[in-house]
Parts: sequence; structure tokens; C-alpha cells
Amino acid sequence: MKFKSSIFIVLAFGSIIASCKRTLDIPPMNVVQDKDLFSSSGGMSIYMARLYSQMPFEDFKYSPARQFYDDWLVAPGANEGSSISRDAGTAMTVEGYGRLQRAFWGTGSSASNAAFSLLRDANRLRETLPEYRANFSDAEYKHYIGEAYFARAMVFYELAKRYGGVPLVTSLLKYPDVPAAQLDMPRATEEETWNQVLADFDSAAANLSETSLKRGYANKYVAYGFKSEAMLFAGSVAKYNKITGFGQKTGVRVIGFDPSKAAAASVKYFQEAYKAARAIMKSNKYSLYKKKWSATDKEGQYQNMVDMFSDITSSENIYIKEYKYPDLAHGYDSYNIPRQLMGGNGYSAENCPTLDFVEMFDGFPKNPDGTIQVFDAKGKYLMYDKITDLFAKAEPRLRAYVILPGEAFKGEVIEIRRGVYTGDASGGINPLRVVNSGAPDYTVSGPSNYNQVDAYTAKGAFAGKKSLFLSQNGTTHEVVTLPDGTSMNASGKSGPFTSDATAAITGFTIRKWLNPNMPQSLVLEARSEQPFVLMRYGEVLLNAAEAASELLLAGQTDPTGGGDNLLQIAYTSIRDIRERAGADPLAGMSDLAGASGLQLIRKERRKELAFENKILWDIRRWRTQHSDVLNGFTQSDGAYYKGLYPFYSTTTGKYFFDAGLEEGRRRFRMTEQEYYFAIPTDEVSKSPKIDQQPGR
Amino acid sequence: MKYLSQSILCCLAVVFFNACTKLDNYDEPHETIKGTVVDAVTGELVLTDQGSEGTRVRMNELSWPRTRVATNFDFFSMKEGNFQNTKVFKGRYNVRVDGAFIPLVRLNATGDTLANETKVVNIEGVTEVQFKVQPFLKIEWVGKPTVSNGKITAVIKVTRAVTPADFKTKIQPMGGYSDDMLNVTDVRLFVSQVPYVGFREWDNRYSTQVNYTGNAFEAQLGQPITITTSGTIPSGRTVFIRGAARINYATENIKRHNYNVAMRVDVP
Repeated sequence: MKFKSSIFIVLAFGSIIASCKRTLDIPPMNVVQDKDLFSSSGGMSIYMARLYSQMPFEDFKYSPARQFYDDWLVAPGANEGSSISRDAGTAMTVEGYGRLQRAFWGTGSSASNAAFSLLRDANRLRETLPEYRANFSDAEYKHYIGEAYFARAMVFYELAKRYGGVPLVTSLLKYPDVPAAQLDMPRATEEETWNQVLADFDSAAANLSETSLKRGYANKYVAYGFKSEAMLFAGSVAKYNKITGFGQKTGVRVIGFDPSKAAAASVKYFQEAYKAARAIMKSNKYSLYKKKWSATDKEGQYQNMVDMFSDITSSENIYIKEYKYPDLAHGYDSYNIPRQLMGGNGYSAENCPTLDFVEMFDGFPKNPDGTIQVFDAKGKYLMYDKITDLFAKAEPRLRAYVILPGEAFKGEVIEIRRGVYTGDASGGINPLRVVNSGAPDYTVSGPSNYNQVDAYTAKGAFAGKKSLFLSQNGTTHEVVTLPDGTSMNASGKSGPFTSDATAAITGFTIRKWLNPNMPQSLVLEARSEQPFVLMRYGEVLLNAAEAASELLLAGQTDPTGGGDNLLQIAYTSIRDIRERAGADPLAGMSDLAGASGLQLIRKERRKELAFENKILWDIRRWRTQHSDVLNGFTQSDGAYYKGLYPFYSTTTGKYFFDAGLEEGRRRFRMTEQEYYFAIPTDEVSKSPKIDQQPGR
Repeated sequence: MKYLSQSILCCLAVVFFNACTKLDNYDEPHETIKGTVVDAVTGELVLTDQGSEGTRVRMNELSWPRTRVATNFDFFSMKEGNFQNTKVFKGRYNVRVDGAFIPLVRLNATGDTLANETKVVNIEGVTEVQFKVQPFLKIEWVGKPTVSNGKITAVIKVTRAVTPADFKTKIQPMGGYSDDMLNVTDVRLFVSQVPYVGFREWDNRYSTQVNYTGNAFEAQLGQPITITTSGTIPSGRTVFIRGAARINYATENIKRHNYNVAMRVDVP
């Protein structure tokens, strides 16, 4: 034992001696150091790659249901009312809320909850780069500082959109040098948060260079673009938000504005939105994409709007997110391709535009209330020789965004037909949605699926003579023999079907963003490469118009001091967008005046920017998501969207269309409280300072 | 060495036994809180919906020192206006209720407390509490509903349970006050196939909603209002109906309805 203990003593002594030497006290050799990264633009590109890989861009890897960095089943447009998706569900409403327990808020390494990690990277860049200033030219140095502000602005913007007031971490928190308890920060007020967003976008625009240092980096106009969008959001919340309250732990007004300051804040933010949008317009660096546009050629206008989303050289693109197979690809084509062109993974038609969306456009018969006209004066269906006749003169923009029944895609006619009607049509065809010979019922209590109606079940007026034929799914069809002896499947190749929702469930299927040149064999998940346009000149014009209209309503004049006539700016912006879209021209400048002018601008926005992950945020900031009346209901009670279902009449050889609530009866329900996401509950319970939303 | 191994065993045993005592050995909660929310004037229960748009009970334990800010412990009142939770830890609690009545906690625009009518109670055994509140509206049935052709026609009466003057005295100091807050925005006849009929449980094929803009409803206060269900309820069904109305004022950021008693109707 004595021998043993002496060994221990020697060992202990040896270790004490060794610790006196500092040979091991050096920075780890296998970790990249600041001095390596901040040494050159090469090192900086590594830092920027990490920064950008965490950026909260709402692109092909964003969906309301799964938020950032998840490209599974993306269907931009679903949840905003532009379309319905089989799988996107009703996210960001009451029902879809559970999945949003953690939307971006967090310090995780998985990018979907990386807000505070990204914030740290941005703060670190801003605070550390000055030590290495000598390594860069003045222009480069300024640009990188601008990038740091841009990243920070985006983080605070995306958080404020979702949560209202957030902890404003504007400097690098030094842990473990400072104990964690001292670093715990409470949420700021919503107003302070938006002011921080404003200040950071301003700093970004002041520092960023005119053109991006590298493809994919931000620049001055990218910052202005997002600034105008963010400030419209802030101004709208200040003006339209009704819910507010104080945090339980801190007593801070973490959501909403002080009622006595809201009006002034709203004007301030709208002024900033206007100034930012005008800065881009006055730079003359961007313009509406019109390569194939011609004032007289509707087909050219249509093709122009199809091309603009994939043309990487488009003069309209201010900021795009690019993808590259195999490193960074997405699956938009795979999920959203029309059913009859379904790819190898078995997905299709996730993004089916609603009739409510289609009805906003010009160029087809409408009832006085703006809904599509499908019946004649006697209440019989209008009949069309060809299925494409109804929309033959539709606005080119609509055709560029939506594949209408019978239109072509990838050189193939997209066959959208709900069923075949074999009944007598000599005196016209009566409305189909009739059960047990009752009155036609197009309300929510009427038949939801065409397999319940009398013509299909052979009851009532159709007793003993089944006159409607439908297809169960894409492979099980009821087959009808036509008068000429040929046979026809009841439903079209792209649906809609009775019980298979991988089809055009609303009677429409999406065209926007789909790559028309992608070989069928490559329509697979994680195979698409087309870029996503995050910020384009069209939006800037719409931002300018909306801000101008809001400022006029608040009794303001041009905030830039440039002598703009606000109404004139709003008018020319909307006029140009409508002209490019091929829409009916406005009557004149007076159309844009007053509250009805603002509604017109909003409607134009809902059309132009549909399927771009913008509109859901717009209806949220306008605070109209819960209160807009949709087919008799508001979302606060639970609302439904409509579809348009084409049928073929065998005795006449003509087509007719039935408009009504969408067959799946997807119910969208949300309350005002949901305009602010709940703070993740674990963050609230583990921190003595982070407040849950008041009232929750 | 034998001694050493024994002592190691001994140590391990201590460690294991120790671990046994480290299990969550806190007794399961079995105290009960029971309560009612009644109209301060009439003493009647304040009827509500069952769910987050109804009356919410929020408890914060004050006697647990380990958390600096107590975690909210929420549950919802039953539709009759009473509540009960039989799984509460013994201790001292702050209890508040929020519903379609004048808020018990009122803060001004800077977050300072103007009034706090919540209760602090020691919960032990069966503890009963009663909240006397001022509901916004009172809804009553007038006569019996009639049924014809699958449609139910009911007559209800909506009156104010709190006077506009009293409402203003209490709400105005909270900031952002407007007389519009007193306007009745909608009157509804909820229909459901289960007795728990209300905002969280209604069949939108049959339920009816009548909206009022501005103060359009003012003249109808206290007057019988006839509402008929929409759609056609198939013959042979049993449904439950309930009248509800709300004013243009949100408590805890939710505009909540006041209700009358749910009634069973058999459709012949």
C-alpha cells in the first residue's frame, strides 16, 4: 500500500508541474478562428454562407404548416385563400395551430428555430468585423456590416410578424463570461420591436452596396424592398390591430400598441414604407418584366407572365433565392404538378386555386355580386361548346397563374372534368345540387359531394334513370358510352374525383412556378431547381400604392419631400401592374381615391402576389383574416371556399360548370387572438422574464 | 480486498436506495376547488360556453417558492357557470375568472392596476369560491320554441346585465374606450346534436347568426327576437339549441358570448 500511495503522490505532483506549463493553452487547431474567417472575402463567404443558410426566407422551403426550412408538400397559396391544399390543411388558424408550437423562435441548430442563433451570428459579425477592418476595402467592409444589419432586420421582422414584441438582442451576449441569469432578456413592446426593425433596415440600406457583392447576397435595394414590406406590416398592425395587453411577468405591452400612440405610429410606419418603395422606384434599376409583352397580344401577355417567374435575368427580380440540384433543391413541381402528369413520388395537385380567387379576375361572365355566372336567366346551366370557352377571354394573368379546365401544360391538354351528365338537356339542365327532389341547395347544408345528388343516386326527378356519372379516383372510373359510340371516363385525367384528393379538387390546378420544361422523369421530390422570387418590383409598386393610399386616408402628404402626388403614384403603380397583367384598364385616377381605392389596391395585391407566401401575411396584418365574409361565413365562425366543377353533357356534346362550396368542405377557422402566435411554452416556463401572450 | 469490495457494494447500495428516494415522491394532488360565477345583481349563474371562448379559470400558486413567477394553471368553466377541479395541490392560490363580464383585473394604458377583484384562497379539502361579476348581457328564452319542416323557431330576449354608465366607469380608465364597445354585434341561435352547444360546438348547417352594425341592435334590447334555424334538420333528430349574444368588447383578447340555458328540441 505504501508503494501505491507513493505512485499517487508522484502522479499528482507530475500533473501539478505540467499545469504550470502553458504549452496546451492555445486556441484549438481544429476550429476555424475569427482571424481566419475575417481575413479575406474568401473567409467572409464562409461566414456569409452560414448566415444565409439560416435566413428566414419564405421560399420553396417554407409553408405555413411547417414554417421554415422544410420543403415537404409546399403549396404557397394554400391558407391564404388563393388555393386549397389537400395536405397544407388550415395552418395558422385555430385548428392548425398545434403544429406551430415553435415557429422560428428558438436557439436551436436546426434552422427552423434558429432565430436567436442567426441573431447571434449577425451581432457577432457586426461587433467583430471592426477588429479586422484592415483586411477589407472600405466598400467591402461597409457591405458586410450592412449584411449584419440586414440579417438582424430580417430576424426581428419575421419574429415581430409572428409574436409581436420580442427580446431585442442587439449586442453579442457573452456566455459564460456573464452568468446566464443576467443575460435573460424580457420581451420588448411591439412598438419597440418594429422600431428596431425599422432602424436595422435603415442601417442595412445605408451600408449595403448598390449591387450585391456576390450572387445571392443582399444589396441596398433588397433592404429597401423588405423595409417597405415590413413597414406596411407595422403600419397596418398599428392601425387595425384590436388586441393588446401586458405581459404577466414584466408588465410590458408585449402585443399591440398603446391606443393613444397607435395612430401616430401607424402614420410613421406608412411613411417609411412609402419612402423605401420610392427609393427603389427612383433608382430606375428595376422595372416590370415585359420581355414578351405586347399591348395587343393577349397570348404574349400570358406567356410573359409565365416566363417572368423562371427568367433569372428578369429586370423585375430584386431578390431571388436560387436552388441547385443536388445540393439545394426543392420539390415544388413534384407536389404541385397536375394529376395527369404525376411524378414518380406519387404526389400531385397540392395547390388547387379556389373559385373565390379566380373570381377576382376579369374576362368571364359574372353575376352582379361579382361571382361567376353559370346559370342563365331561367336558372339553367350556360352551355359551352368547348370546355375552354368559359375562360377564353380571361385575364392573361389568371391563365398564367392557374391552369384552367382544358388548358395545355407541357404540350398536353389538362383534362379537368368532374363528371358526365347523360340526362335530357333539351329544355336546359337544372342545378345539380338537389337531394330528394328538394330545392337546389348551394349552402353548407346542401350536398357536399356530387355522389349525393339526385342525378347520381337516381332519386327524385331522376328516379330510375341515373344521369350523372363520376369517377371514384384516378384509376377507377365510371365509363359512359357517347352517342357516337366512343366511350368517355366520367372524370378528367386530372380529376376532380369522388374520393381521391390528389387531383384538381377545386376544378383548378396551379400553373405559377411550375417548370414547363422539366422532363416527366425528373418530376420528383428534391429535384426542382427554379428560383423563388422573394422580392420583385411588382410588389414594390403595390407597397408604394398601399402606403400612399393609407397616408392619404390619414390626411398626409408626400413624406419624401419630393413633391409626389400620392394619388398619382398609387394610380400609376396599379395601372402599370394591371396593364402588364392584361386586366381591364381602370376608369381613371379617381378609382384609387378614399377607402374604396384602398380596397382596390388590396384586391390587386391579392391577385398579383398570390402563391408567393405574401398574402397570408397581408390578410393577417389587415386583420381581415377572421372578419372577411367568405360565402356567408367569416373565419371567426369557420368559413369555406368555393370550387368550379365542369361537367360534360352527352346529349348536347357541350360543357357546363357548377359553382359552389368546395367538395371537401375544408373549414378555416381562426379567432383574433391567433394573430399572435403563442410563445413556445417551454421558453415561457423556463425563463423568469419571457412573457406568454396576454390572455393566453 | 474483500473489505474493499464489500464497502463498494455497500456504497452502491446506498446510491441505489438513495435513487429510490429521489423519485417524484410528492403526493398526487387531491384537493378540490369548486366555484361559481354569478351575476352580482341577481345572483344567477353566468351561463357560458365550454372552451376557450367561454369563462376561463386561471390559478397561480403563490405558496410554491421555487418558481419566481407562477405558471398559469388554466381550466374552463362548465357551461352552467360553475367550475370544479379535483386535482389541485394543497396551497395558497390566486384565482381569477375571465369571461363575458367586466374583467376582474383592470389595468390602465400604462399597465398599472386599477382594480383587482381576484381571490386569494387556501385550497385544502374542498374549497369553494364564488365570483360576483357583472355580465355584459343576459339572454332569456321567451316561450317554447316551435318546429316546422325541420326548422326551429325560437324567441329570445336580450337585455343588458350591466348598465352602460357602469360599463363606462369601469372600462374607460383602461384606455382606448369608445361607446361602440357596448354595441351588440351579433345574436345567434346555436344548434348542436350534443348538449354542450355553444361557440365551440355548433352545427353550422343549422345555426343562425344575425349581425348588427353600429348600434343597430339598441332598439331591440329587451324586445323579443324571433330566430329561425337555417337548413333543414332531418326528421327524428334530437338537437340542442341555445341563444347567444355578445358586445363589441373583448376580455383577455376574445370577444365572448353570453348565453341562455341550452334546450333540447326533438324534431318530429
